[in-house]
Amino acid sequence: MPAKRHAASTASAPAPSTPVTLSSGPATLKSNSSVVDIATHVWQQYISNTPQRTLLLDAFMAFLVLVGGLQFLYCVLAGNYPFNAFLSGFSAAVGQFVLTASLRMQTSESSSAASKPSSKGKNARFADEETEGGISPERAFADYIFGSLILHFFCINFIN
Amino acid sequence: MRWCLALLICALVAAVNALSSSGSRLLVVLDDTTEKSSYSTLWSDLEGRGYDLSFESPKSDQLSLFAHGERAYDHLLILPPKSKGLGPALTPKHILDFLNKDGNIVLALSGKSSTSSAISSLLLELDVHLSNDRSAVVIDHFNYDTLSAAEKHDVLLLQRPNALRTDVKAFFDGEGVLALPRVAPQTLGSDSQLLAPILKAPTTAYAYNPKEEMPSPDDIESTGSQLNVVSAIQARNSARFTVLGSVEALEDKWFSASVKAPNGKKVPTVNREFAKQLTGWTFKETGVLKVGKIEHHLATDGEVAAEDLNPKIYRIKNETVFNIEVSEYVYDKWVPFEVPGDDKLQLEFTMLSPFHRLALQPTSRTETSAVYSTQFVTPDQHGIFSFRVNYKRPFLTNIEEKHEVTVRHFAHDEYPRSWAISGGWVWIAGLWSVIGGFLAFVVVWLYSAPTADKAKKTQ
Repeated sequence: MPAKRHAASTASAPAPSTPVTLSSGPATLKSNSSVVDIATHVWQQYISNTPQRTLLLDAFMAFLVLVGGLQFLYCVLAGNYPFNAFLSGFSAAVGQFVLTASLRMQTSESSSAASKPSSKGKNARFADEETEGGISPERAFADYIFGSLILHFFCINFIN
Repeated sequence: MRWCLALLICALVAAVNALSSSGSRLLVVLDDTTEKSSYSTLWSDLEGRGYDLSFESPKSDQLSLFAHGERAYDHLLILPPKSKGLGPALTPKHILDFLNKDGNIVLALSGKSSTSSAISSLLLELDVHLSNDRSAVVIDHFNYDTLSAAEKHDVLLLQRPNALRTDVKAFFDGEGVLALPRVAPQTLGSDSQLLAPILKAPTTAYAYNPKEEMPSPDDIESTGSQLNVVSAIQARNSARFTVLGSVEALEDKWFSASVKAPNGKKVPTVNREFAKQLTGWTFKETGVLKVGKIEHHLATDGEVAAEDLNPKIYRIKNETVFNIEVSEYVYDKWVPFEVPGDDKLQLEFTMLSPFHRLALQPTSRTETSAVYSTQFVTPDQHGIFSFRVNYKRPFLTNIEEKHEVTVRHFAHDEYPRSWAISGGWVWIAGLWSVIGGFLAFVVVWLYSAPTADKAKKTQ
């Protein structure tokens, strides 16, 4: 086991040095790798291949899941009185998560579309439209802020 | 209000000390005027209490209880007629109409002669039953007057009655012995709440017709305290009707007589005082209740401003105070009404059915009235409610008050703020951490923009 892992790490270490431009896909993972290896590999891949803004989005979404989960747990344990407070607190977390998820879709899609424009015929057509008349990241971010402000306004009102 | 008006008018017209609370015109129906002199003490007593007495024979042509569709008299005292009936002006229907128009009636019966069928059918309308044998009198071999009825035992000697129940006021009690010669007994229908016995025969009494032979025990219909010597009916409009079994008890002779029970001492009768109590109660000199001010408002510390009194609308879960002022008329004046020991004056807060039924406590009193109040929280139910006081007791005039109010639900700004409820603090913290996290995310996003653009461009 350690020998294999060592081998994998030694194999992966020179890999990025030879193809500098191709950061994605150092095919060093073997078919009989352990679960831990796979997980660390996926994590490594995710860290290294994801743009910084998308990482930021994911961190924020993880935070929202945590906050929403805690509120739901408190409701289960301590009862739902006052119910409007639970509803607005919990739905603020859920709503923010949904909005952030859509921002992530819009921003990462445009980046992926811009990075590799020719994957398939259909997608290429859509990608063309997106790059020309589609949603720019700035526009997506503005929509996101607008939606979030409306959500916060409603939640603060509803929590009284 | 009407009583007050009547009182004022009577005070101006008659200008005497004692007055009925419901008018002073008293019609006495008696057969022949020679009879009149044997009741002279009663007449002078009644006149002394402010009544305008008119005497009419039942056969008279002018006799009418109504003039222009209104009562011509306030009260009616009917002595037993010698003839068959009471004549065309005093049919049972006329007498009941008189009762329905708030007239008060004393009907005296006599065991001397048989009771007429007109009177019997009148009493049947009121669920008061006379003996089948119309000439029956009450006999008691243990409580009779040894001086005047040593042989016949038909002059009853009775104590004045105490309160009917512990939750009813006593209007006819007192010391002394009543002499009731030749009583025509009555029995009361068991179902009616309007009927109340004033004086019952003693347990050793029974009824039979002295002109006939001694009846066998099977033939006796009712005995003992089933027999009523004096009974009262108070109609739903609080008009009063009293049946007195023995008219002779009102005679001058028995007002001043001395009697001696078996194994007793010779004592003067208290018939005169009892006649005053009986006519006073029937003609509404006692046992008359009046509701004064009714106030309800939100519970506050200190004085309530005039504009906050009796609001039309309340909110659910409001702390509310209700006050009712009750006076009782006693012979010539209004005094504070005191609820009898075991009884309670109750307030109902009702929408279709009572949501609250609360005992009202006496809180303060003025010279003429007592104020009863209670405090409660309006129920968690919005709708049209009413404050109700429904007090109907034997020998007291009815109180039936109904005051409608609207009970609304919370307005949107009347709920407690979120931070006032500590249970919600976690969710408030959750909401604000989401908002705070959003703001931090936005700031970081904006600051991370150039590097991201560069990365994109390099790619």
